[in-house]
Amino acid sequence: MKTRIGVISFEHMHALSYTKSLVSMDGVELVGIADTDEYRGANMAYRFGTKYFSDYKDLLALKPDGVIICTNNSLHCSVSIDALRAGCHVLVEKPFAINSKEAKAMLEEAEKSGKRIMNAFPMRFSPSVIEAKKAVDSGKIGDILCITGINHGKIPSGWFIDKNLSGGGGVMDHTVHLADLIRWFTGSEYSSVYCESGNLLHNKGIDDAGLVMAKMENGVFATIDCSWAHVKNYPIWPQVDMEIIGTKGTLEVKAFAQVNHVVEESKNAFEDIVWNKDGDEGLVAEFVDVVRTGKYPNASGLDGAKALEVAEAAYRSVKSHKNEKVIHIEEI
Amino acid sequence: MKKVALIGAGTMGRTHCNAYLSIEDAKLVAVCDINEEKANMLCEKHGAKSYTDYETMISNEEFDILDICLPTYLHSKYAIDAMKRGKNVFCEKPIALTLEEAEEMTKTAKEYGVKFSVGHVLRFFPQYKNAVSIVNDGKIGSPRLIRTTRNQAFPNWSWENWYADYSKSGGPILDLVIHDIDWIIASFGDIERVYASSFNGKVEKQEHCMCILRLKNGAIAHVEGSWAYPQGSVFRMTYEVVGTDGEIEYDSVKDSPILIQTNNDGVHKNEYLNPMYGNAEPYGAEIRAFVEAVDQNKDVVIKGEDAIKALKVCLACIKSSETGESVTID
Repeated sequence: MKTRIGVISFEHMHALSYTKSLVSMDGVELVGIADTDEYRGANMAYRFGTKYFSDYKDLLALKPDGVIICTNNSLHCSVSIDALRAGCHVLVEKPFAINSKEAKAMLEEAEKSGKRIMNAFPMRFSPSVIEAKKAVDSGKIGDILCITGINHGKIPSGWFIDKNLSGGGGVMDHTVHLADLIRWFTGSEYSSVYCESGNLLHNKGIDDAGLVMAKMENGVFATIDCSWAHVKNYPIWPQVDMEIIGTKGTLEVKAFAQVNHVVEESKNAFEDIVWNKDGDEGLVAEFVDVVRTGKYPNASGLDGAKALEVAEAAYRSVKSHKNEKVIHIEEI
Repeated sequence: MKKVALIGAGTMGRTHCNAYLSIEDAKLVAVCDINEEKANMLCEKHGAKSYTDYETMISNEEFDILDICLPTYLHSKYAIDAMKRGKNVFCEKPIALTLEEAEEMTKTAKEYGVKFSVGHVLRFFPQYKNAVSIVNDGKIGSPRLIRTTRNQAFPNWSWENWYADYSKSGGPILDLVIHDIDWIIASFGDIERVYASSFNGKVEKQEHCMCILRLKNGAIAHVEGSWAYPQGSVFRMTYEVVGTDGEIEYDSVKDSPILIQTNNDGVHKNEYLNPMYGNAEPYGAEIRAFVEAVDQNKDVVIKGEDAIKALKVCLACIKSSETGESVTID
C-alpha cells in the first residue's frame, strides 16, 4: 500500500522542491494539492499530475496519511491543528509558528491526536552539515566553546515582508535555521538572547538585517547573522555557514559551498550553482519515514518551537536593548 | 632627516625596524630592549646603537621620535616620560589599558607640543583603504551591515607570556579586534552600543571574542577575534560590508595571491603571502605618515583622540562580556 501524502499550499516556494522530492520516492502517492490561490494550485496539480483543491479541508477529507504545509507563517498553527485532527502526520514549513503560544497549541494537538509533527529544517539533512555534525560528535575538535553562524540570503517578496502574515522579517525567517543547528550540535538549550536588528538594507518596512547573540545553558555562546544581506545579483541565494571553536580544534562548515561558478555571457550573469543535494530530499524522506513508522522525527515540532523561542527573545531584545532571558515553551 | 629610537624589540619592534629601512626621511639610531641579544639583532641592519636601559638611551642619544613597541601596560609610562623630554611619540596599539592613562598621554603630548600617534595600522592596509574608498564612491550605497574577523592561534611567542595576562594585554578584545573597531569607527561612524562575549580566561590557552556593535547612524557590525585556533593555523582576516545597493567581501586566505606548501621534518605547512611594496606596505606607510607629520609639522593621521575612541569601545565590550549586558557608549 502506498503512503498517501497531500501538500497544502505553495505560498512558500519550498513546497515545489518538497513536492518534487515526494513524487520521486517509491511507494508514495501525492493525493492532492490544496491552495487558496487557484491559479498557482491548479498549475501545480497539473504539473505533478494530482488533484487540486481550493479548500484544504477537502483535501483532508481524503484522509491522507500525512500533509506538508507550506502556507504563510500565520496559518501554520490553524492548518496544522486541522490536519492533526483529521488524523494526518504533519510536516510544516519553518518557522514553526509565529509565536510560542501557537507552537505550544500545535505540539499539544499532536500529543492528543497521537500523530507526529515535524518542522522543516532541511539543513539537518544537508550532506555538509551531517558530515560536520559527525566530526563534532566524534570529538575531533573537543568540546564546543562558541559558534559563529551566518544565514545570509536575498530578500524574499510578497507575504514574507508583511509582518501580519510572516510574524517578522529576517529575524523570524533566518534565525531559526541556525538556532536549530546550534542547539542540535551543542545538545544544549538556550538561556538568553541579545539582538541588534532593523530595517537597514531594503526599505520594505520590515527588519532585514540582524545580529543575534545567544547563550546556551552549557555556557556556549553563538552568534547568528540573520540578515537578508545579499543583493539581487549576488551569485547565490542561500548561505548557511558555521564556524565552530572547540577545545581541540575548529570546524568551518558552509552548507552551500558545493557549487560550480558559472558565468553566462549573454545574461551578463555570475551564478554559483549547487551541484550536491541540498537538505530538502532528506527532509521529505524523513517525513515519509515518520508517516510510515510513527517514529519520533529528526527535526521535530519541538525542535521548531525551541528555535522559535530564540527569534521571539531576539525581537524582545531589539526593543529593550537588553540581554533577554529565553522564555521556554514549557513555561507558558 | 628625523632620528628615531625604538623601545621593545619583540615582534612589533622587528616589524617597525624593517619598515624604517624603506623610509628615506627617518633613520633608526637606537634600539632598546632588556634582552640585549634582541636589541643587537635589530640594530645590525641600521647601524643603530643597542641599549638595555631606556634612561641610558634617552640621556646618551639625540633623537626626534620615540617608537614604542612595548607590551601595552608599559606604553603610558615611557610615552609620557619621552614627551616630557620633548620627544615625538609613535606608540603601538592599543594606546593603553585604561582611559586615564590614554588621556594622560594625549594631554601630555599637547602640553609639551610634541606629535603623538598610535599604530592603528589597519587603516593603512591597502585592501581596507580600498574598501572604504569603494564605499565613499557610492558603489554599495550606505554601509549598513559590517562583519570583520581576525583569527589566529594563541600568541605563545610573547615575552613573559604577557598576552595571556589580561591585566597586561586586555585580552583579544583590547589587543586584537581593536584594529577592526578603530577601522569601523573611522570609516563608518561612531558606536552607540555594544554587546560582547568572550571566554574571559576561562579556557586555557584559547580565547575568542564576538562583539555586536550598533553605530550611532543605525548600522550594525559583527566583530570577531580569535586566539582559539590550533597552533600552526594560518592568520586570517576577513571583512564584509553590506550596503543599501551592494556588498564588498574580502578574505585574506581565499584572496591570497600566493600559496606555498612545504613539508619539512614531517610538518606540513601552508603559507599565504600577500606582497605589498612601497606605500602599499602598511607598517611603512603608517610610520612614514608620522615622520612626515613631525617633519612638516602637520596633523598626524591617527590622533590620540581616535585611539581613545577605539579604547572606549573595547573597554565597553570587555565590560559587556563580563556582565552579559549591553553597554552604551557615552
